[in-house]
Amino acid sequence: MLEVTNLETVYHGVLRVLRGVSLTVPDGGVVALLGPNGAGKTTTLRAITGMLDIHEGKVTKGSITFDGHNLVGKHPEAIVRLGISTVMEGRRIFPELTVEENLRAGAFVAPPAKLNDDLDRFYTRFPVLAERRHGPAGYLSGGEQQMLAIARALMSHPRLLLMDEPSLGLAPKIVKDVARLITEISKDGVSVLLVEQNATMALELSSHATILETGKVVLEGASETLKADADIQAFYLGMGADKTSFRDVKHYRRRKRWLS
Amino acid sequence: MNTFLQLCFGGLALGTSYALIALGFVVVYRASQVFNFALGELLTLGGFVMVALCDFGVPWPLALIGAMGMTGLVGAGIERLVLRPLIGRQVFVTIIVTIFVGMILRSLVLLVWGPSPVGMPTPWDPSASISLWGANVFYSALGAVIAGVVTLIGFWWMINKPRLGIGMQATSSNQETALALGIPVGRIFGSTWFIAGAVAALAGIFLSMFPRNLDSNLGFVALRAFPAVIVGGLDSIRGAVVAGLGLGLLEVLAQGYVNEHLGQFGHNFHTVFPYLVMVLFLVFKPHGLFGTKEVERV
Repeated sequence: MLEVTNLETVYHGVLRVLRGVSLTVPDGGVVALLGPNGAGKTTTLRAITGMLDIHEGKVTKGSITFDGHNLVGKHPEAIVRLGISTVMEGRRIFPELTVEENLRAGAFVAPPAKLNDDLDRFYTRFPVLAERRHGPAGYLSGGEQQMLAIARALMSHPRLLLMDEPSLGLAPKIVKDVARLITEISKDGVSVLLVEQNATMALELSSHATILETGKVVLEGASETLKADADIQAFYLGMGADKTSFRDVKHYRRRKRWLS
Repeated sequence: MNTFLQLCFGGLALGTSYALIALGFVVVYRASQVFNFALGELLTLGGFVMVALCDFGVPWPLALIGAMGMTGLVGAGIERLVLRPLIGRQVFVTIIVTIFVGMILRSLVLLVWGPSPVGMPTPWDPSASISLWGANVFYSALGAVIAGVVTLIGFWWMINKPRLGIGMQATSSNQETALALGIPVGRIFGSTWFIAGAVAALAGIFLSMFPRNLDSNLGFVALRAFPAVIVGGLDSIRGAVVAGLGLGLLEVLAQGYVNEHLGQFGHNFHTVFPYLVMVLFLVFKPHGLFGTKEVERV
């Protein structure tokens, strides 16, 4: 469905962030994109959604296709219309707008005839949002805002949902709710590309994962396999290796070189 | 009593123009947080385009619509050519740019039409008036109120169309997020500038009718509508209309009743009153009558 091949990007014409990233999101699948800060996860999402432009970046190499449509150089609006929707990092709800206005903004590219049905559907699914529908969205709690951001992104009837760190800054209980929601979304037939630093959760939810480091893919494979991988356990899941000696780090570095 | 009614009609006519100008400021501000300092020059431009169209032999009502449309297009053109490339930069940069766009427009108007004042053509005898409940009302004043109200209703209908309205609000709240939701931020900005240009032209045309004239300084009137923007609340369309009408009334009533007692302040003292109200609002209610308060969670 989504096919990213050998993607390279620069910011401000000089700053190379991605150096050949490839990943695939199959129809109806949940794929995790993991990696530390600055690895290029958000940049990958921006490249897919056509948002590199406004950050003064551009794709210099590689291709991004969605159901056979080339996405490189397309306007964000056109990409949303093709069926790709984003939950941006840090929720980014419109705080001064009411909950309902937020949802209606999400439905901008959807046919207006369906609007009321969709609103009802999400209000049943998220009773909290129904209660606060006419209140400013900025007064919702962090977890509620995340629910609103996800509901808003689903209002456009996407076939692929990109989620940038949906667990960021949320209480563990809420993170579980978000995780359950992601499973539900994928059961409804929406593919999900999940960008996360919370590797435990992401590997739990996804069928396949790609790990980025400094703009390169260092590991990829079935989430089950990656969960069992000793390096991943040591570096991302905070378990496994009892002590992280310099030798291990070197071993890991070496492995990165082989793999990239 | 007659004097009072007469002043009220004059005040409403002036207020309608203020409301239209304030609307021009607010509609752009709402979508992009840009305060458009070039709006005053769009007033002048609209007036001169109107005169040119009438000289050309275009029937008056068509010329009015034509002038509004053309000025609107100039507005949208400015947005497309000058401001669109600045999307994503600091709003401050864009605001400064509008000042210079205004200067350029002003120079162009001077270059093309010269500095001498022109009378605004009217389909009625320019100095004719009608007697309403014993008050003498200029046809021009009546025309201003009617055209203004029709335009405001049309505008109200437009922004309450769900898509444009919500698109404008979302864009104003956060451009990047709006873009990510598939809202065509650029086109939204373009339409707000078109609307601003069109209402500015209408205001400019009626403001330069008898007893006033049209000259290249008309743009400064936009600054007199400034208090209406603040009092109404920078981002509130309802506020712009209410405050515009209210301050127009206040100004004309002050001219009729207060000026004669305050002769020592000069004969233009009434123009100070809207600013006094503005200062009071800035001190005691800085969000204005209907402005959005910032939402902040602690």
